[in-house]
Amino acid sequence: MENDPAFSLRQVATRCGVTPAYLSRVERGEVAPPGEETLIKLAHELGEDPDVMLAQAGKISADLRSAILARPQLFAELIRAIKTMPDNAVLRIVRDVHDGNW
Amino acid sequence: MPTLEHSTVTEEDCLVFRFPQIEEDAVFSIDFQRTLRIPDSDKTYSLPPGLGSFPLRHVEDHPQKLPLPTTARGGVILPMWQSEAMWLNFSNNGPENWGLDFPVAIKVAAGKINAVTGESWRTGLHRDPQDYLVAPEQPWLDGFAVEKGVIRQFVAMPLGDGYSVEEQLTGDAEWGGLQISVFPLRAKVWKAKRCEWDEQQKRRDAATPIDDGAEYMEFSHKKKALPMGLAAGGRMRQVIHPDPFNIEDWDIAAAERVFITLLHAKDWKAITGEAAPNEPPTAKEYSEAGLPWFEYYGKDQAALPGGARFGGVKSVANLFEKMTGATLPNSQDVETGNPVRLGPSPNAPRPVRSEGSWDY
Repeated sequence: MENDPAFSLRQVATRCGVTPAYLSRVERGEVAPPGEETLIKLAHELGEDPDVMLAQAGKISADLRSAILARPQLFAELIRAIKTMPDNAVLRIVRDVHDGNW
Repeated sequence: MPTLEHSTVTEEDCLVFRFPQIEEDAVFSIDFQRTLRIPDSDKTYSLPPGLGSFPLRHVEDHPQKLPLPTTARGGVILPMWQSEAMWLNFSNNGPENWGLDFPVAIKVAAGKINAVTGESWRTGLHRDPQDYLVAPEQPWLDGFAVEKGVIRQFVAMPLGDGYSVEEQLTGDAEWGGLQISVFPLRAKVWKAKRCEWDEQQKRRDAATPIDDGAEYMEFSHKKKALPMGLAAGGRMRQVIHPDPFNIEDWDIAAAERVFITLLHAKDWKAITGEAAPNEPPTAKEYSEAGLPWFEYYGKDQAALPGGARFGGVKSVANLFEKMTGATLPNSQDVETGNPVRLGPSPNAPRPVRSEGSWDY
């Protein structure tokens, strides 16, 4: 990807709707990271996980924010309970598909 | 129990099966790909692409809006338009940073009719005839195995209209949907396979000089109301591979299963509150855009013979003409050109074009 002209800073910036100069300054840490929408576009362009990209910019996605704000107590308890668990244990809380009678 | 997971990278919903009692990080997943309905004629087609995965939702989240039999079966719901086609995409992953995928046996049925043999659903695994698939040898399944090296595409039709394979073979429109069981290898068989692989790897490492450019190995981290049944669509070249293991190698007791209820896409919003995917392009539109078809060449092209019971099953176009006297829309043959060759690695991905990108 590094040498692919389709992923040059200019090309990526254009596809994300920002100027190459601005993206270059973001890369160098000279300006604050762009907003959520641009970061998500950037993640998709670069094949990165959008949540990881947002976290690197110190943000969380709007859908996660609204999910937490809709049930603050539940999610606060949940996150505090699992925050130190290893990744494989956290994955185990992914919801099972219920099996019935067939 | 399988889990329903959504990748924020690929935006795909999939069913994930884990067997941590056998191998902590081993993962097998299935996503259900939207695709073109190939013309239903005498011609045998190459593989069409994927057009992105169908959404999946938990049945238990919509108990008030689904019929009682559906909620009693559990599992997941998936929206399909009438005459829409699908294929099942299988992904195996071994422990992190391994080059060895965790093998599984998969039993697939539509309306509780086994898609490999045409027999009625039975628990467990059987040989003579083999009634299951083995992944990663089998990277995907597009339909009913009607002949050696040929499947008839999975095509959704309303259950009760007489088109589904279930109705044609049993005379009843009872189940519809898809039923899937996944079986891991027995722990001792897997352990022996790991040891064998470790030894081979050590020999390969010893024989390969290390260079500074370090070979970059890319691991696949791939990572209702009106019920629908699956009918037999057009003919497609696809080999169903024989099991390379012994049948005793599979851990029958550790099997996990899931019922996938297919709902008419027009009812999806009323049930889930979400918009259904748009109708996919026709094979004619795709072909006229000059887009590629595919052919898969696995390492071993040995093939199972196809289900004898499917001999009596009529295709959708055939039944449609019989019932209505008209020709099924979009069933004229199309030009496919020279197909793009895929394989031989079972993990060589089959191209998926996301919505809106199929026309480039």
